[in-house]
Amino acid sequence: MAYDAPMEAATPVAELRSVSKSFGSVMAARDLNLAIGQGEFLSFLGPSGCGKTTALRMLAGFETPTEGEVRIAGDVVNDQPSFQRPVNMVFQSYALFPHLTVAQNIAYGLQQKRPRPGRADIKARVAEALETVRLEGFQDRRIWEMSGGQQQRVALARAIVNRPRLLLLDEPLAALDRKLRKEMQIELQDLQRSLGITFVLVTHDQEEALSLSDRICVMRNGEIVQIGSPQELYDRPATRYVADFVGTSNFFEGRIASKDGARARLGLEGGQVLSGSCGPGLNVGDRACMSLRPERILLRSEAGDAGHPVTVQNRIFLGEHTEYLVTSETLGQVIVFAPRQTEQEGLGYNKGDTAWITWRDDAARILLSEQ
Amino acid sequence: MTRRERNWLLLAPAAAWFFIMLILPLSFVFVFSFGERGDAGGYVAAFTLEQYANLPARFAAFKNTLILAPLGTAAAMLIAYPLAYQLAVRTDPKWRLILLVLVIVPFWTSILIRSYAWIYILGGQGIPRLLESIGIDDVRLIYTPFAVLIGIVYGYLPLMVFPIYVALDRLDKRLLEASADLGARPMTTFFRITLPNSIPGIATGCMLVFILLMGEFLIPALLGGGKVFFVGNALVDLFLQSRNWAFGSAVAMTLIVVMLVTVTLYMRLIARLNTQRDSDVSLM
Repeated sequence: MAYDAPMEAATPVAELRSVSKSFGSVMAARDLNLAIGQGEFLSFLGPSGCGKTTALRMLAGFETPTEGEVRIAGDVVNDQPSFQRPVNMVFQSYALFPHLTVAQNIAYGLQQKRPRPGRADIKARVAEALETVRLEGFQDRRIWEMSGGQQQRVALARAIVNRPRLLLLDEPLAALDRKLRKEMQIELQDLQRSLGITFVLVTHDQEEALSLSDRICVMRNGEIVQIGSPQELYDRPATRYVADFVGTSNFFEGRIASKDGARARLGLEGGQVLSGSCGPGLNVGDRACMSLRPERILLRSEAGDAGHPVTVQNRIFLGEHTEYLVTSETLGQVIVFAPRQTEQEGLGYNKGDTAWITWRDDAARILLSEQ
Repeated sequence: MTRRERNWLLLAPAAAWFFIMLILPLSFVFVFSFGERGDAGGYVAAFTLEQYANLPARFAAFKNTLILAPLGTAAAMLIAYPLAYQLAVRTDPKWRLILLVLVIVPFWTSILIRSYAWIYILGGQGIPRLLESIGIDDVRLIYTPFAVLIGIVYGYLPLMVFPIYVALDRLDKRLLEASADLGARPMTTFFRITLPNSIPGIATGCMLVFILLMGEFLIPALLGGGKVFFVGNALVDLFLQSRNWAFGSAVAMTLIVVMLVTVTLYMRLIARLNTQRDSDVSLM
């Protein structure tokens, strides 16, 4: 994978250079290359076992890479134990100290600094951190007296009070219910912007990664598949895996029939030919697929130009949009998201209706099939 | 049958057991302690405080017990903690079970036989002889308080290892990572995170060992050789040798009271340690 330049600033806050990690015969991470810029919000996204947590733990200093270099602020830190790194972590289940109060948990990191800050200084900074996470007045509470969401805030406060160069978050919102998770996502983003600390988040929740991150690093089987902004990943996924993992998509399998620069034509098995944009690395004759996002497809009652006839199989009303499952003889099953406006105009369809689907040329993306 | 009746029925066997095997005999001991010794031994009914007035005659036994039992408990704790820590925190889980079994293997042999082994090790043919061969003469180990201490620590070590092991095993290891992540050196992590969270295990282990040591008589009898004796030895002597049941009962009652007092004080201390705020900070 090509070395990815940071978004801004000369020296990246953290870098992985050709980093691999194996546990016995298991390769948990393979040849990771990544530079994280100052003030960036970067997410590692992938299913469990994809190596994202291993990557994070190597940044934290809990795991030593088998090969390659981990750099923080330009220095190689492979052999630096976690207690010496200017990095703090928010653990998945928070790992708050049960025998200490909220304030004592937050003060813990400050008390380890050498020279040790004065008592009044620590007290002031703990109070400030409590205010930042909106937990004023909770300083003397015990951890088990706090709700899940409050514990999450204590964990955040305990990390940010140390003003780390890098804040690592390991699935920090996984234990919260949906509504609280949404709230915390917004708070995390506000916090990151106001503090200017670089955040590195690990998540398996694509929605979370898309809404929070400046850049997302999609991982699979210990390797980085693609790094890019949420919109880049969504609109120009490098592989079928990325298109499938980030958002929802329809895939039509076939072989590349012709290629002209950034455009290609894909021959389906039934003989139909579809065209779309494509990235580098595709050649005529390759097995490939076309990815088509459901919300980019238009469902119409007339054929028009280049419409594909379909039969409506199912209609699911989802509030902000309606999801249709339609079948086409040439394309197979297709999912279409219809926005509310079209529904309101009386353009709704029912099961068994015949309709036509069309899409703009730039909605279709041709990708290498990988299995 | 009501729920209440059913509860009583379920409790009945245990209640009967405790009444017959504990309350009743204890009541006899209590009554006997105010009686007198018969001419041919045994017990003659009376009401006198003479037996309690005689207690100073057995002062040495109380002194030995009250010095060696806490000392033995403390020594066992200091030896058991690093062992339990190693097993629970550092050892690869696949070896843990085997190593834990090794801790209890000595229990498969009678304490009597194991104590005889110590008589040999500490006696003239054992360590003193080894020391002699390197020029250190006249070392006496057997039949000293030290021999008794070694014996009780050896005998009760597993009872200390297990509760501490359980406490450390239950300790969420991510807390240790969190501590390191916040900049704490390994020593700091140990004293501020690991140790405070294992206090319940230490407390249980100490309690178990201490209570059993207070009633110990076999190890002092064998390794103390009649020179270092516990209250337990005094009781055996009074009931079985001199057949002075009244005085024996007074000694037994005194031991029970001493134990109740020390254990209560100890539990108060532990409860305070558990609720006390981390001593390193008193914030806000």
